Amino acid sequence: MPFLVLLLLLAGAIILQTTVLDYVDVLGIKPDLIMLIVVLNGFLLGTREGAFLGYAAGILEDLFAGGFIGLNALSKMAAGYLAGMAGLRLFRENTLVATGVVFLSTFAGNSVYYILLNMVGIKVPPFYAFFRVIIPVAVYTSLLTPLFFRRIFRFVQLRDRDI
Amino acid sequence: MSWVTAKRLFCLIVLVAVTLWAMHITVPDATEQTPLESSRLRDVLAPMQKGLTWLSRQAHFVVSLPVSMYRAAERNQALEQEVASLKSQLARQNEYIMENRRLAALLAYKQVMEQEYNLMTASVIARDPGNWFATVKINRGSRDGVKENMTVLSPEGLVGRVVSVSPSNCEVLLISDPRSGVGSLVQETRTPGIVEGTLGGSGMARMIHIPKNSLLEEGQIVVTSGLGSVFPKGIPVGTLGSVRDEPTGLFQSAEVKPFANLDKLEEVFIIVNVLPGAGSSPEGG
Repeated sequence: MPFLVLLLLLAGAIILQTTVLDYVDVLGIKPDLIMLIVVLNGFLLGTREGAFLGYAAGILEDLFAGGFIGLNALSKMAAGYLAGMAGLRLFRENTLVATGVVFLSTFAGNSVYYILLNMVGIKVPPFYAFFRVIIPVAVYTSLLTPLFFRRIFRFVQLRDRDI
Repeated sequence: MSWVTAKRLFCLIVLVAVTLWAMHITVPDATEQTPLESSRLRDVLAPMQKGLTWLSRQAHFVVSLPVSMYRAAERNQALEQEVASLKSQLARQNEYIMENRRLAALLAYKQVMEQEYNLMTASVIARDPGNWFATVKINRGSRDGVKENMTVLSPEGLVGRVVSVSPSNCEVLLISDPRSGVGSLVQETRTPGIVEGTLGGSGMARMIHIPKNSLLEEGQIVVTSGLGSVFPKGIPVGTLGSVRDEPTGLFQSAEVKPFANLDKLEEVFIIVNVLPGAGSSPEGG
C-alpha cells in the first residue's frame, strides 16, 4: 500500500513537472521533483529501496515523456542507490545532510544520464551539459529539500510503524 | 396681576431681549462691531481657546480611539478584501489583454502566411518533464489532420516539427532539442549549415557544418533552407551568436538564438500544407 501511495506521489510529481514547474524555471532550468523523491526515499530506506523506486519512477517518467525508454530509469536508479549508500553512513535525520545528499545524488544521476545520452548517439557539448543542466539542476533540486524532507521523513516513519 | 406673574413676565422679556440682542450681533453683515468684538478681549482669549480646542480634540481622540480603531480594523479588513479582489480582477484583465495581443499577432501573422501555407492554430498543453530534451505536447492530433513531420511555427519564427501524433494531441520536437536538426542558411550570405539543438532547458541551438571560408557575423539572420529536411524554405529560425571553429578544422559552428521564445510557448501554428506557388517545395526535399 505505501508503495502504491509513493507511485501515486510520483505520478503527481510527473504531472507537475510537465506543467506547473515550467513557470518556476530559473534560466530555463526546472527542479527535478521526481529525482528529489527518489533520492530522499533512497536516503531514508537504503540502497535496495532507493534503486528500486528510482528505476520504477524513471521508467514511469520515460513512458510519460515518450523518449528513450530507460534513460531516466537507469540514471534515477543510480541516484537512488547512491543516496541509499549515503543513508547507511550518514546521520539521516538532519535536513542539511539530506540537502547535501540530494545535491550529490542528483549530480551523479544526471551525469549518468549524460553518459547514457552519449551512448545513444546524442552529443551534447560537455560545457553545456555540466554548466547548463547537471550543476544547476542539482543546486535547484537540493534547495527544495527542506520543503519536502520532513514530510517524507514522517511518512517513512509511519510506514515503518505500520509494518 | 400677582407679584409672581409679574416676575415671570419680566424674566421672559429679559430673555427675549437678550435673544434679540444676540440675534442682532450675530448678523453676518453687521456694520458695527459689538463691544466684545471691538475690545482686545478676543485676542487675549484666542490662545486659551486654541489650547482648549486642542485639548478637547485630544480628549475626543483618546476617548474615541478604541471605537475608531475597531472601526479602522473593520474598514481595513474590508479594504484589504477589496484590494485583493481588485488585484485578482486586474491580473485577470491583464491576462486578457496579453492574450488578446498574442491572438491579434497570431491572427495578423496567419492572414499574411495564409497566402503561402494552410495553418492550424494549437495550444501547448505540456512540456517534457526533464531538462535535457525539449518537446511540447499541443492540443491537435490526427483527428484534426495533424501528421508526423509537419512544421510548427510561432509568429516569431520556427518552433519545431511534429514527431508523434495521437488522436487528440501531438508531440513537437523543438529546435533546441539535441535530437533536432534543421537544414538552414544564413540569409545574407546564403551560407548553408545545420541548426541543431544544444539542450532543452537552454532554449538555444547552434549552427554546425558551416564552410570554413564563409564570413559570418553575430546578429545575422538564419532561415530554413528547405533542403535536406522537412521544413519549407525561408522560415526564420534565429540570429547568429558567437562563431567558432569546429574541432575537425574543416568547418565552423555558431550559436543560434531562436526567434521563437521556446521556453514560454503558449500558442503555435502547424503548417498543414504548403500552397502551390509559395516559392518552395511542399516537403522541402
